[in-house]
Amino acid sequence: MSAIDAARASLYIRDTLSTIDEMGCTMLRASWPRMLSLAAIALAMAAAGCSSGGSGAPSGGSAAGSSTLVIANAVRVDTLDPEANSVNESIWLDQNLYSRLLQPNATGTGLLPDLATSWNTSKDGLTYTFHLGNAQFSDGSPVTASDVVFSIDRSRAFKGGWGFLLTPVKTITAPDPHTVVITLSQKHAPLLADLAMYAYSIVPKHLVQTQGKAFFQHPVGSGPFYVTSYKPDSEVDLARNPHFYGTMPKISKVKILVVPDDNTRVLMLESKKADVIENPPGNLTSQIDKTPGLHVDLFPSTRVDFIQLDEHFGPFKKLAVRQALNYAIDRNALVKLAYQGDAIPGASFMPYKMQYFDSSITPYPYDPAKAKSLLASAGYPHGFKTFLITVSGDVAGQAEAVVVKSELAKVGITVAIQSYELLTAYSKEDGGHSQMGERYWTNDIIDPDEVATFGADCKGGANAFNSYWCSTLATSLVNKARSELTSAKRQAYYSQIQQIIYQQSPFIVTDYSPYRYGVGDWVKGFHASPLGAYVLSLETLTVGQH
Amino acid sequence: MSRFGTLPRRLGHLVLIAFGITLVTFFLLRLIPGDPALAILGTSYTHQRAEAIDLALGLNKPIWTQYVLFMGRLFRGNLGYSFFYSLPATTVIGQHLAPTVFLVIYAAVLAAAISLPLGFVSGLRRGGVVDQSTRVFFTVSFAMPAFWLGIILLIVFSVHLHVFPISGFGSGFAGHLYYLFLPALTIAVGFSTVLIRSLRAATIATLQAEFVDTARMKGISRAKVLRRHVFRNAVLAVVAVFGVNLAYLISGTVLVENVFSLPGLGSLLVNSVSNRDYPVVQGVTLLFALLIVAINLLTDLTQSALDPRVGQEIGE
Repeated sequence: MSAIDAARASLYIRDTLSTIDEMGCTMLRASWPRMLSLAAIALAMAAAGCSSGGSGAPSGGSAAGSSTLVIANAVRVDTLDPEANSVNESIWLDQNLYSRLLQPNATGTGLLPDLATSWNTSKDGLTYTFHLGNAQFSDGSPVTASDVVFSIDRSRAFKGGWGFLLTPVKTITAPDPHTVVITLSQKHAPLLADLAMYAYSIVPKHLVQTQGKAFFQHPVGSGPFYVTSYKPDSEVDLARNPHFYGTMPKISKVKILVVPDDNTRVLMLESKKADVIENPPGNLTSQIDKTPGLHVDLFPSTRVDFIQLDEHFGPFKKLAVRQALNYAIDRNALVKLAYQGDAIPGASFMPYKMQYFDSSITPYPYDPAKAKSLLASAGYPHGFKTFLITVSGDVAGQAEAVVVKSELAKVGITVAIQSYELLTAYSKEDGGHSQMGERYWTNDIIDPDEVATFGADCKGGANAFNSYWCSTLATSLVNKARSELTSAKRQAYYSQIQQIIYQQSPFIVTDYSPYRYGVGDWVKGFHASPLGAYVLSLETLTVGQH
Repeated sequence: MSRFGTLPRRLGHLVLIAFGITLVTFFLLRLIPGDPALAILGTSYTHQRAEAIDLALGLNKPIWTQYVLFMGRLFRGNLGYSFFYSLPATTVIGQHLAPTVFLVIYAAVLAAAISLPLGFVSGLRRGGVVDQSTRVFFTVSFAMPAFWLGIILLIVFSVHLHVFPISGFGSGFAGHLYYLFLPALTIAVGFSTVLIRSLRAATIATLQAEFVDTARMKGISRAKVLRRHVFRNAVLAVVAVFGVNLAYLISGTVLVENVFSLPGLGSLLVNSVSNRDYPVVQGVTLLFALLIVAINLLTDLTQSALDPRVGQEIGE
């Protein structure tokens, strides 16, 4: 997913409280003897139950389960227009509202039918025919092939959007209301995965044409839920779509609240005002786990954290130096210190929960002696000075930078940490005047084509994750894999690409970090897929007594 | 009336200041590294996609042309389209105005209700119980950052006592009063510290003035002297402090808005800067600047209405 997600949330003041509840009470306790006249505080304390340890007293939840799920997100909704979404939370929200021709499965490793109940491919791989079922929009009107054609064409034409994914598409036509035919100018293996992407959600042609942008203030889709109230900065209310063609959700309403402050979200969960909270801060996860009735769920994601090495900087031109950095960093220590042990040490540059991930690649072992000898062989026996760009407010990233700095100091490399606001950091890292920079990747589609194009293809527009490293072999493999339809052959190509990147180390893959949610035990079955969507779990989850 | 004779001149200043603000926000904003295309594309940024976005947003034009277009639209009351929300910036700002204005007025009223009696009594009975405990309590609270005090209020009153909601704006006037009580209190406590201190000092100074002795010697009762002569003179000094701080509050509510999840202007501004949402940042900055100038003007007018001497000083 593009743009600013977790890091944007962390631009806000992060807390330094390890356990707010206890500290809040200690604070009150410490100051009241000096404020004898303010007996009210003492009363409030007593009532707040501070003396008994300050644990959350059971609150007045509903007695017989609930039909509403309340999710507290950290980030505002940018738009409900799927072609223009750039915020992850909004993308995940939109997936509850709209359907696509196909959808990724819950593990992010395959595709499921959605509006298209079946599809077939011509022998030459250039014509795809999709057969639509009898779906309806939430206003009761049928989803027709012309809606599909209109929606895909609309998203393709959106400037700066995801049209480039469908460059090989020649025509999209609707020969009858239940059939969509797509023809290609060349074979394009990721086509189905591309069509399952959020940007290619299907909207009703007649309404979007007549209402224009205003449609997305009160949109109509064919997903399991529809919007009943839309306040992008505070709350979006959804109700079950009575015309939904799939599994009818057990809950009838979903409330998505925007609660930017990390501590406030945790308080909402503790007081049971929210059932699920997004991204509780790492230093509060153990407190949530210890609170009876609450827990923290970690869901594998497609996020890959890495440190880019800009090859415009002399030492990083040398393979031995890049490999030395990989050997010098203790990934286990890094995961423990920066991610509370919740992340997985990184190996391949591809997300570890996706098709064609090569699990035979293992993380570089921690071997400072080898790192030193590699540096010496590259002509840097005494190391060198460099800088590492980080995003201020990204707590895990800051901790990671400190670990990297201290590990590299042991092999003679002096690292200066430079912290910038998110977009300033990105623009410094993108310009080709950088040295080391913390970045991450997340997938938008389940096919490896996207990550391979951005990370391994120096002609792909992203300069191999801005490392400016270039390999003609890797570039040609990315192109071959894109036009190869046989699964086994694609597996071989992507394995080879991953091996090249691993060996060449144009960037240091540090870890794979999961999605983190604080969840009340009364919610049964909440689950986020590696792409971050939770829509499939909303169709089956239940909200019990709390 | 000579007291208000400065009004046209002050209004003229306002226009000049507004023009200066447009220059500063427009160009300063574009000096920050990172552009709207990067904000939109994030990790999937490529130059090709960025160029397409710049074209769509009109950011490919020379910067002076963009400024002229911006000013042209501004004269027609149009701030342009928000890049982030895909809505007119005026609509976006309008949606965020109500919570902030409500919050600031609410906090100001609470602050006045807290500080007028406490400050006056503290000044009258210097070193007394009220004076000492007020000083300790408000100094400690003032030293607490808003997000910390807010979190403590939330833990006590929302999580444990269930008296107030944790977040949100509520609906209807009564709903707003209820939902915004804790955030308004958080602001009011910090605000009150300044007001109490200045009212206390002013009260002490006024008590020592000769006209108070004269009034007492004329046989006017103590209560009447305090009400008519001391309080009214002391409060005058606080009006200026109140005005200046109120202006500061409007732009300073962002931390409180964040803790209590209020969709107000403060958080809108911070988020819009992070997103490089130029039209919204320009609009909000302009609005803040105008509000601050307007409040300063109102403060001066209020002061001169209360005290004719002030009008003559700021007059010719």
